[in-house]
Amino acid sequence: MKYKMSSDRRSRRGRGAVLAVAALLAGAAAAACGGGDSGSKGVLRVAYYAASGAETMDPYDGNRFWPTINMVFDRLIGVDKDFTPIPELATVWEPNADLTEWTITLRDKVTFHDGSTFDSADAVYSINRMIDPEFDSPVRAVLGIITKAEAVDPLTVKLTLASGEADLPVLLADYRALMTPEGSQDTIGTKPIGTGPFKMEKLDAQGTTVLMANEQYFFGAPKVARIEMPNIADAAAATQALSAGQVDLMLTIDAKSAALFSDTSKFTVQRIASGDWNAIDFRVDQKPYDDPKVRKALRIAADRQALTDLVLGPGGGVPSCDTPVWSGDPYRWDGDCPQDIEGAKKLLAEAGYPDGIDIEIFTSDVEEHMVELVEAYQEQVKAAGIRVTLTMTDASSYWDNVWMMEPAFVDSWGQRPAAQVLNEVYRSTATWNPTGQADPELDAMLDDARSTLDAGQRTEKYRAIQQYLFENTATFVPYHKTLVRAMSAEVKGIEPVVIDAVRWEKIEVG
Amino acid sequence: MTGYVLRRAALSIGVFVAMAVLTYLGIAALPGDACTALLGKFATAGKLAQCRAEHGLDAPVLQRLGDWMLGLLRGDLGYSVKRSAPVSELIAPRIRNALLLAGVASLLAFPAAIAVGLATGRREQSKVSRAVDSTALVAMTLPEFVTASVLWLVLSVWLPILPAVTVVSSDDSLLDLLPNVWLPAITLAVLVFAHVMRSMRASVSATSRRPFADAARLRGVPERAVVRRHILPASLPPTVNVVAVTAAWLLTGTFVVEVVFNYPGLGRLAVDAIADRDTDLILALTLLGLGVFIVASFLADTVIRLLDPRVRAGVGRA
Repeated sequence: MKYKMSSDRRSRRGRGAVLAVAALLAGAAAAACGGGDSGSKGVLRVAYYAASGAETMDPYDGNRFWPTINMVFDRLIGVDKDFTPIPELATVWEPNADLTEWTITLRDKVTFHDGSTFDSADAVYSINRMIDPEFDSPVRAVLGIITKAEAVDPLTVKLTLASGEADLPVLLADYRALMTPEGSQDTIGTKPIGTGPFKMEKLDAQGTTVLMANEQYFFGAPKVARIEMPNIADAAAATQALSAGQVDLMLTIDAKSAALFSDTSKFTVQRIASGDWNAIDFRVDQKPYDDPKVRKALRIAADRQALTDLVLGPGGGVPSCDTPVWSGDPYRWDGDCPQDIEGAKKLLAEAGYPDGIDIEIFTSDVEEHMVELVEAYQEQVKAAGIRVTLTMTDASSYWDNVWMMEPAFVDSWGQRPAAQVLNEVYRSTATWNPTGQADPELDAMLDDARSTLDAGQRTEKYRAIQQYLFENTATFVPYHKTLVRAMSAEVKGIEPVVIDAVRWEKIEVG
Repeated sequence: MTGYVLRRAALSIGVFVAMAVLTYLGIAALPGDACTALLGKFATAGKLAQCRAEHGLDAPVLQRLGDWMLGLLRGDLGYSVKRSAPVSELIAPRIRNALLLAGVASLLAFPAAIAVGLATGRREQSKVSRAVDSTALVAMTLPEFVTASVLWLVLSVWLPILPAVTVVSSDDSLLDLLPNVWLPAITLAVLVFAHVMRSMRASVSATSRRPFADAARLRGVPERAVVRRHILPASLPPTVNVVAVTAAWLLTGTFVVEVVFNYPGLGRLAVDAIADRDTDLILALTLLGLGVFIVASFLADTVIRLLDPRVRAGVGRA
């Protein structure tokens, strides 16, 4: 919108002069836009606009170069559009009776980009790196439940778990749980060899990364011959590049920029419910948040639909009743949690705050929406006598000095399946349990749910956990975000689903 | 002249060292460090300690400053923690790109600004002169991103004859970079043209009314010669100063334009480096910026001394 408005104001007066200059420069321009740039047949240009400079192609490293890793490497198990597990490098997976041992059969005759064969030794090596306590990969938060990986024969791997986990296949479908060649630890970051649909041609996260189709890909040769990923400093510049046809695809755009791409003859815009969420966390080891009544009052005083619309824009998110499980997850509990000002007042009075309560919430612009969330919340809960002071803190030290430290603070999480997010963020023993809430009853419910074999019963148990959280949790989760993806109308084959389920080899251009 | 150069050089080195110390202490005083920036949300105390030890961030500030200065004397600009590369490798292509952008913008803006300033300054009250001045005032006050957005919309979307943003790497060849330099350069040139043109216009206007110009005219010197021999040399010194400061800004202060057009210059790297608490990189860029300003002002003063006999003679100098 920004660009549109400014152009209307300025264009008439300035156009003559600008055109004159433009005519002078036309020679140089022809060189700029001529040749391959306009046709781009067989080339998919994806804008990369999160460059940190620290990117590595090691998928298990915290600075992994996403989404490139998912073009070069494959998982054992992928996810379908409805988020159910589907075969990737594994073809069959079978648990034992108590779900503590999983036997995984690997796909036969799969080769890495260097021609070597993918087998169980590579799978065991990859899983061992993911769960290595010393390397401490972020993937360990997902798959740390695996205690042992062993090769039974070249095409069979046995995984032993610390406790029964019915959803191990879903956890193995994590976008970082990728298979790398045995012994590749020292080279994988800069010279990635995978089995995936694209081979790395030129790795340059700060410049333009180039990937070429892997014609031997076991799901069939990719539809585009080449992927180029230019690094563009920020989302606004990437938006400009897409409008001008310099790139074909932006995996996420700011919802407010979607209007720029409303011309359906030129662009396709997809809105995708995702599992990304923000929260306000209250430390249960700090007053007044040690009192469950206060915690519940703070949560029910908010109008989640209005909050979602205010913070994310209309249609920008799906409201949540304090569940971190997103709307696309089969275990999601869709509760009803309307704003309850009177209920909140009553709970506060019972907790010893008949005249309302003063609280301080720490936030930062380290990620988008984190400040707006507190501002909107502050206004909404006034009516319940909750007087919120917003404290801004420095972005670069937020995760280090504020998050999990201050009594109340804003949080941000990416999408995770139910089995992962509940154990990673809510379990008493979790390293990243931001509220410090240790609840043996919840832990027992989690253990019970994850070790239930019957899918129907398991779903019921997971839903009961979320309902339990709504009564007790110290984490206020108002919404999950809806992502907006924009691409040239020439781009086909990208389903309107979360990126984990997008098949890069099926994307076509022109 | 030699004494003058030596004095200036000594002063510049003093400013340079003071700036390095201040910058270093300033970065140290900021919350967070390169390791918190590198490791992000899921940094554990152990990983942070390991990262700090690996990069020497656990040493006292003054020791680190001393080490860095010793390195600088050896020509070692240090190492970027976030980008895992020597600072000199990171900034070399960026300096080249910044020079290209500043060079193109200067060529587009400065000669035209001086010519238009001279022409309009001599007829200050004419309609054309006033219209040009008002337009320049608008161009000066418009935020860069507005000018940039208009140019982008017209030249990249409506027409479209220029690439919207730079999608080549910072170290690609100049030939690859050249088509991408036009939009940022024109945006900067609009702003710079307005500044320099107005300065020149005011200066010419003031000089034209000075008695020596009238005296020349009364002596029967043709108007063209009055302008060339009397008005122009006397009007240039203040403009030379403006040109110098503006040229230095073109090399170091073009962050907004770089971001809007994704141009891989120095400004964006500097802002990213600060966000990343990438101390060595920040220092190198700060000192580079300072160096550019010192050199620019030195050059400007020298040119003025050559142009203006009063300055050479020490007349009129405080």
